[in-house]
Amino acid sequence: MGSAASPGRFWLTRLVSAVLGIGGCFLIQTLSQHSLGDYQQRLVFLAALYVTLSVSLNLINGITGQFSIGHAAFYQIGAYSAGYFSKIYIHDQGHNPPALPWLIGVTIVGAGCAAIAGFVVGLPSLRLRGDYLAIVTLGFGEIVRITVQNTDALGGSYALQDIPKIHPVWLVWLLALICVAVSRNLVKTARGLTFLAVREDEIASQAMGVDVTRVKVTAFVLGAAFAGAAGSLFAHYEGSILPTNFTMDVSFIILTMVVLGGTGSITGSVISALFLFYLPEYLRGLKASDGQALTVSSTLIIGGLLSIGIVTGLVKKIMEDQRGTPQSRGLIYVGLVAAGVVFVPILNLVLSTIKPLAEKHIPTDQLRMVIFAVALIVIMLLRPQGLLGHHEFSWSMFGGSNRGKPEVAT
Amino acid sequence: MSLLQLDQATIRFGGLVAVNQISFQIEEGQLFGLIGPNGAGKTTCFNMITGVYEPTSGRIHFAGKEITGTPQNKIAKLGISRTFQNIRLYGSLSVLENVVVGGFLRHKTGLASSLFYMPGAVRETEALKEEALRLLSIVNLQHVANVRSRDLAYGMQRRLEIARAMATRPKLLLLDEPAAGMNPQEKIELNGMVKKIRDEHGLTVLLIEHDMRFVMSLCERIVVLDHGEEIAQGPPEAIRNDPKVIAAYLGEAV
Repeated sequence: MGSAASPGRFWLTRLVSAVLGIGGCFLIQTLSQHSLGDYQQRLVFLAALYVTLSVSLNLINGITGQFSIGHAAFYQIGAYSAGYFSKIYIHDQGHNPPALPWLIGVTIVGAGCAAIAGFVVGLPSLRLRGDYLAIVTLGFGEIVRITVQNTDALGGSYALQDIPKIHPVWLVWLLALICVAVSRNLVKTARGLTFLAVREDEIASQAMGVDVTRVKVTAFVLGAAFAGAAGSLFAHYEGSILPTNFTMDVSFIILTMVVLGGTGSITGSVISALFLFYLPEYLRGLKASDGQALTVSSTLIIGGLLSIGIVTGLVKKIMEDQRGTPQSRGLIYVGLVAAGVVFVPILNLVLSTIKPLAEKHIPTDQLRMVIFAVALIVIMLLRPQGLLGHHEFSWSMFGGSNRGKPEVAT
Repeated sequence: MSLLQLDQATIRFGGLVAVNQISFQIEEGQLFGLIGPNGAGKTTCFNMITGVYEPTSGRIHFAGKEITGTPQNKIAKLGISRTFQNIRLYGSLSVLENVVVGGFLRHKTGLASSLFYMPGAVRETEALKEEALRLLSIVNLQHVANVRSRDLAYGMQRRLEIARAMATRPKLLLLDEPAAGMNPQEKIELNGMVKKIRDEHGLTVLLIEHDMRFVMSLCERIVVLDHGEEIAQGPPEAIRNDPKVIAAYLGEAV
């Protein structure tokens, strides 16, 4: 095991990774501005927002095992508090501070407000477990949303308007990156193991001297702070925010991202956040060719689901089956893909012969969410523990028998 | 002065008296046995000592300090550690990580240091891992350090629980049926291991066990409970021949 490096070398690595991180975020911004349209650029922005939300919920739900389904409330508190400050200071009072430092400052304020809320919600988690905690957090989410909806100073149901629009894409990607880095750092140190220990067995953790109360509240505060920061960036991106931006659906979609990625896996949360965010957006492009609405769409559905199945199968194989020879595994993949490719036109043919089906026209935007839902069901059936289970991305995954676990000299 | 002292400790769950006015003292360095038929209140007694339940009446002193009503994690920090009758390991963590969690109560660097992966936190984590490996070699599990603890064989899981409890560096180690489910060979090894732990680490051990041969050969002093009451106390030979104990286990002579 490598011992801790010398301080000089430590700060150098830190500096290099910080520069690379910020540089990467700027690269994303430059690339998206040069090659993408407005709509696509918006997606790039929102994608990073959802990565932050999902990774921060993973901290509460996946790593510490506290079943929270009110994450949109923290997101909302961050958005409204930061948005409100900006509106008052810049729009109402007419100050003109430098945009970027102001945004960063107000984002920290938003994160702080959400963190306080996280602390408050964290307290009942000391007494409640599992389903009961879920109900409390769900209730909290609704309380926040409905309170805002009925507060005229915050715009009520008419939206909080006139928030100055400041939207650096790089900053939201940097936030996502920091959120991932912080989660990963935590899990890699002994302190993070106590968070996992609380998830695994509270009673045993208490008996081992772990301050379970503190661990749970810390997880809630951290998770809420990141969600709040994301909310602040969202508010300044949109310029006006509505209580309906933060409904239960948002909480559930974030929760789905965490569960689908594999509860506890940071990598999984990132991948599934990107996947679940882009899937419904991508499906907007669904168009049926003339008079063939259902057959075309169903082909797409099945083709899409099959390819999802194949991808999940692939991940599953890579993660779990290190036995069979590479050739045999390769053959399995090729076989799966071939079966999928052959299956789609055959099914299309069969379906198009059924007259009532071939003539029936279904609007594609309705189909879009059906496909999204079915895709979720298929993935959960194929891999109930989520895409990555408890695993994390690691280079040793490609190396052979050692499956992403830290090696120890014995 | 004795290390652990129970003074008329009683626990009632509603109308049920689980443990009734139990008093005993454990001297430092002793191998102390707690036996009795099923439902006698042995595990409740453990839960009382470790702070899971607060005694309804009576007092508990540990190393000269009263610990009645102290929260569990504080008691662990004072130096009492335990294993569980129904194994409670962190299933999806590795064997090594389980033991690291046990050592965490001596961790000093703060949360921020962990979140930013500062050298302090890294160093402490490494130190805990090294110590964990050393403890694993005592219970002979160093070769499976990276295996998920859920995947271990039953006897190994029991030994891992002991290693995890020892990672807290306790003065008093409570073992709740450590030999349950072990085969004769494993029991002999466990017997030697517990003695070795006591001798080399200066620990005091209090253990609950059903296997009489195991208890009699290991413990220096034994307390027998039945229906929440203490019915006998003394060295193994005396317990073996005590008519009350024989009656509790085998029934009265007709």
